[in-house]
Amino acid sequence: MNNVIIEVQDLKKSFGGFLAVENLNLKINRGEVFGFLGPNGAGKTTSINMMVGLLRPSSGQVLIDGREVQEIEKGTIGICPQELVLWDYLTCRESLMLMGDMYEVPGAKLKKRVDKLLDDLFLTEKANTVVSQLSGGMKRRLNLALALIHEPEIVVLDEPSEGLDPQSRRVLWNYIRSLRDDEGKTVILTTHLMDEADRLSDRVAIIDHGKLLRLDTPSNLKKETGEGDVVEMIISDPGKNQEFINSVKKLEGIYGVVEVNSQINIRARDAVGKLPLIMDELKHFGLRVVDLSVRQNTLEDVFIDLTGTGLRE
Amino acid sequence: MKFISIAKKDFKELIRDRKSLAMILLFPLFFMLVFGFAFGGMGQSNQPHNLAVVNYDKGATMPITGETVNFGNNLTKVLEDSKYQDSDVHLFDVNLTTESDANKKLEAKDVDAALIIPENFSQSMVAMITSTMQQPLTTGTGTSASSFNATATLIIRGDTGYIGFGTSQGILTGVLEQYKDTLVTQTRSAITGSSGAETTQYIQSKVEAISGTGSFTTFDFLAPGMMVFAILLLTTTVASALTREVEKGTLARLKLSNMTSFDILFGGLLPWSLIAGVQVVILLIVAVLIGFHWQGGLNSLIFALFVGIIGGIASISLGMIIAAFTRNDNQAGNLGTLISVPTSFLVGAFFPLPQVVIGHLWGQSFQIYDILPWTHVLYALRATLTFGGGWDAIAYHVGWAALLTAVLFVIGVVLFSKNRLRADN
Repeated sequence: MNNVIIEVQDLKKSFGGFLAVENLNLKINRGEVFGFLGPNGAGKTTSINMMVGLLRPSSGQVLIDGREVQEIEKGTIGICPQELVLWDYLTCRESLMLMGDMYEVPGAKLKKRVDKLLDDLFLTEKANTVVSQLSGGMKRRLNLALALIHEPEIVVLDEPSEGLDPQSRRVLWNYIRSLRDDEGKTVILTTHLMDEADRLSDRVAIIDHGKLLRLDTPSNLKKETGEGDVVEMIISDPGKNQEFINSVKKLEGIYGVVEVNSQINIRARDAVGKLPLIMDELKHFGLRVVDLSVRQNTLEDVFIDLTGTGLRE
Repeated sequence: MKFISIAKKDFKELIRDRKSLAMILLFPLFFMLVFGFAFGGMGQSNQPHNLAVVNYDKGATMPITGETVNFGNNLTKVLEDSKYQDSDVHLFDVNLTTESDANKKLEAKDVDAALIIPENFSQSMVAMITSTMQQPLTTGTGTSASSFNATATLIIRGDTGYIGFGTSQGILTGVLEQYKDTLVTQTRSAITGSSGAETTQYIQSKVEAISGTGSFTTFDFLAPGMMVFAILLLTTTVASALTREVEKGTLARLKLSNMTSFDILFGGLLPWSLIAGVQVVILLIVAVLIGFHWQGGLNSLIFALFVGIIGGIASISLGMIIAAFTRNDNQAGNLGTLISVPTSFLVGAFFPLPQVVIGHLWGQSFQIYDILPWTHVLYALRATLTFGGGWDAIAYHVGWAALLTAVLFVIGVVLFSKNRLRADN
């Protein structure tokens, strides 16, 4: 069996004059969790809608197991959309049974599957409650369950943790991992949360303004922008940020200095050891520290490195 | 069967959304009430209807008295003298004339209706009186009283698409029934009472106010049209409901599955047909409660329900076609109204339209409006409710309505599949 399950070739989509996705090329492997990372409006949803066959590309093609996405067997893909797409007047169980019927899942199997999904996603108690009376988190989980009822080979999750509290998010993350590890599914997820992409994905595609900027494993991506830690600081006179950055750049052992939203990010090996040097420099300019913290390098730093800006929310 | 799952789902959504359901069902009620009051003649004075009478009656001889009678003349006199109930206004403005002149006047709408009295009318009446008189005597002998055939057919002629005719014929039918009944009861009392009583005298003195005719109004003719209009507005409701599925994204969910256009539309058709049926029942009940004088008894009501449901299914199909083009609730509402309201005019729900014949089929002229199923629904409703026709009178139109509705539904399935179940652009 071919290891590549989805192949995207020269995918392009324009709406009127606006180019939403530009020459996207990528291969997704069977059984991996593949993350699309990018700010809102980067073209993530447009890309995945084309990849599942809901949206027609302007040019290029998507091959699933070597076949055009429009010609694949229905039910190969399950998609959990970003918005809540539910029938307000059906109960959880009715919704799941309906989608199961639509995918022609045989009756006895469907019943078992519904029970398992309700149980896995902590919805058993609410099985017979109509959707309009569920809490936001429950609706999210049902939204996900509906994408999985027919046991699709490929599961596409568009911003799955949007609007979830930390506890529900943890439930979701564990569930996504179990989809890959226990059921061998290929999972594609889009997110604008660095943390989510970092923790869940086997590989991450960083995308902005419709362009693929980088595609690699999270650890490689972090390595690429250099190892080490990041010092984030805010100085007393933001007007002098640039001047200060230029002089810090000249210091030894400093990998990079960037300004993000009036905050200065300094990436360095052994950042704590470099702090006295940085402070000396600050004094030299007659400035004070307003806020300072030291943390590990994250995907966000990769993103900043690639785009020159922080993630737009 | 995936369409059954969709039907169940739509049915649950319909009955669980109580507010929307109440609106869908209360709408025909209010609608009929408003139109009933508007056209039901409230506060409106009764006007005499223009009636042309063509009398071919040759007269007959009464069996006992040997007296020569002409019931045609008598009926004409009765019609001239009849008044609205509790009113001094005459029912008819009678214009005694020839058949060709009557036809001309009908065309020019100078008269609302023409009554043609056949030449054997008196003979038939005499036969009826004779048989009535013989009835008590022949009881138990086993011989039939009416051994001779003397049926006379009174013809009421007019343009069935004309409101004036609709009301006039309703009143006329009532008067004629009354005339016959009066003759029979008076003949009976004549036999049991004093001998030698003159039937004709009884008639002349009796028929002054015809009970029941006082409330005959334009509404009696318009009610079927109102029903068709209300049924047509179901188009908008269905278009909105289906478009909501697009707007909410649930259709995108469904279209990734094995569901077909037929599944979602036929599945939707079932519960909506039920709604259409309930709407028609409500329309009929309200119409009758506020004084709709329908003809033909319970049969007519059952036919009307059947025909109304076909009209409802046609509206549902049209709603599905609209949903293939609209992206949100608002658009569906607007486009639905934009199409269904002019359609109701085109099918003649409010007033008759000029004749535009485009061909002839099975001896019936086929007009341009006849390509719309609701035209046939309206014809059939009128034929059965206003004119009291049975299955024979409506079969042709029911057939057309059903066929055209099926065509609309197929168009809906094709368009919906093409515009809504493929990848978006």
